Amino acid sequence: MIEFRNVSKVYPSGTHALNKASLTIEKGEFVFIVGSSGAGKSTFLKLIMHEETPSSGTIFVNGMRVDKMKHRHVPMLRRTMGIVFQDFRLIDKMTVYDNVAFAMRAIGARPRAIKKRVPYILELVGLENKADRYPSQLSGGEQQRVGLARALVNNPMMIIADEPTGNIDPEMSYEIMELLSEINKRGTTILIVTHEHDLVHSFGRRVITIDKGVVVEDTVNLPEAVLEGGDEA
Amino acid sequence: MRISGLGYLLKEGIKSIWLNRMMSIASIGVLVSCLLLTGSAELVTLNVAAVVEDIGGENVTRVFLDQEVTDLEGVYIMDEISKVSNVTDTKFVSKDEAIMEYQDTLREDIFEQMRGEGNPLPNAVDVTLEDLSLYDETMAKITAVEGVDEVRDTREIAQKLTSLSTLVSSVSLWIVLALSLISIFIISNTIRMTMYSRRFEISIMKSVGATDTFIRIPFVFEGMIIGLISGVLGSLLLTFVYDAVMQGMQNILQFKFIPYDELAPFVWIAFILAGMVIGMLGSLLSIGRYLRKEGNELLGW
Repeated sequence: MIEFRNVSKVYPSGTHALNKASLTIEKGEFVFIVGSSGAGKSTFLKLIMHEETPSSGTIFVNGMRVDKMKHRHVPMLRRTMGIVFQDFRLIDKMTVYDNVAFAMRAIGARPRAIKKRVPYILELVGLENKADRYPSQLSGGEQQRVGLARALVNNPMMIIADEPTGNIDPEMSYEIMELLSEINKRGTTILIVTHEHDLVHSFGRRVITIDKGVVVEDTVNLPEAVLEGGDEA
Repeated sequence: MRISGLGYLLKEGIKSIWLNRMMSIASIGVLVSCLLLTGSAELVTLNVAAVVEDIGGENVTRVFLDQEVTDLEGVYIMDEISKVSNVTDTKFVSKDEAIMEYQDTLREDIFEQMRGEGNPLPNAVDVTLEDLSLYDETMAKITAVEGVDEVRDTREIAQKLTSLSTLVSSVSLWIVLALSLISIFIISNTIRMTMYSRRFEISIMKSVGATDTFIRIPFVFEGMIIGLISGVLGSLLLTFVYDAVMQGMQNILQFKFIPYDELAPFVWIAFILAGMVIGMLGSLLSIGRYLRKEGNELLGW
């Protein structure tokens, strides 16, 4: 699904964002990427999306070789992934429905397909009753659910969420995470970049820690409840 | 691409023209001026060419007789002229016939009153030559005939008109070239502004995997619609300009100019096509570099 082999990224400014990083994420996994700011998490995501190209190393994403990808093939790569942003990135002057439909229109989907798919996705994220609202009329958690719906609407193989709960209150954060878990159960790979350790710990999932451009830790971080249960057994 | 998708993109293009209307109006203004100048220059050239052909095609030279020569004397002089070698045919043109010719060409009632006593024109003889290469010698002999005043050398007029037309077209070529570049530049700036105001949408489109072509189409439409509007406006304006200019010209030269009705279809097609091509070039110019940008770089964050 995602494979990094000895990937390094040096920016023109001289910053070594990634330093021979190697990792593999399989299809259907649910992975947290953690690390302090400036550790290389954003670069990692940008490389996956081909917003940046590596200085050296090989990258495979969803079966495509990304490090040497031609500009005109990038849209095909991006259609295999749905991206959720920390700041939601919703279009203010469009309704919830149109924000989600926009992602389908942008890749030339048929109007009939849009009419069928958007309500289904809105129901999935629990916003079926707010389709006509504008982003400004929604809470942070709801806005992020719109962002999630938009990421999901083109049926991607993978969801990449960059600090998805960074701008919403903890209660709502938990809801978003539950929703992502739910989506993961349907077979979609989930990749979440975050620095909220509490959130990471409460979900027993794989955690990849990046520090100074290197993968320093890669563990299954079982939630405390499960760990305690394990002691008893 | 499917038609339904195109409809959506076309709508987006029209929307952004309206949202950026000040810049759109500026683009249309410059493009219309460019088209008008090109069109006027071309029409002048066409008319001159037509007049020159008219003159050159007629192997007939009008020889004016002295003012005091009467009709009867005129016929006698005509006989003399017909004896000159190289002259194959002569035709007497009386003052009144000459006035009526003016009236036919110019359709001004004032000439009606000039017939008879008040006629300022002299009698004349239309002379047809056998060999035009002997023109100068033959005309010298004709001028020598008593009662002949002067020869209206239409070849000279033709020459002057042709050189004027060459001047007009070479000067206008440079002006048109400069104006076209300015048009493309202004349109590309207009569209760059549209792109800037829509960079957020563009960044989302890119993140979900929209192709460059798909992102580009509304902006190309925008440029082409600006071109279309300019073409239509330019064609309409040229109608008035042409009529005014040609009326002015006809007061000076009694030639038959090409009526606008004959030219209008070509003007419309040429203006609309040229406008749309310039609009398209302008938009393509501004989009290319923009599309290479990614994510936050595109948003300027």
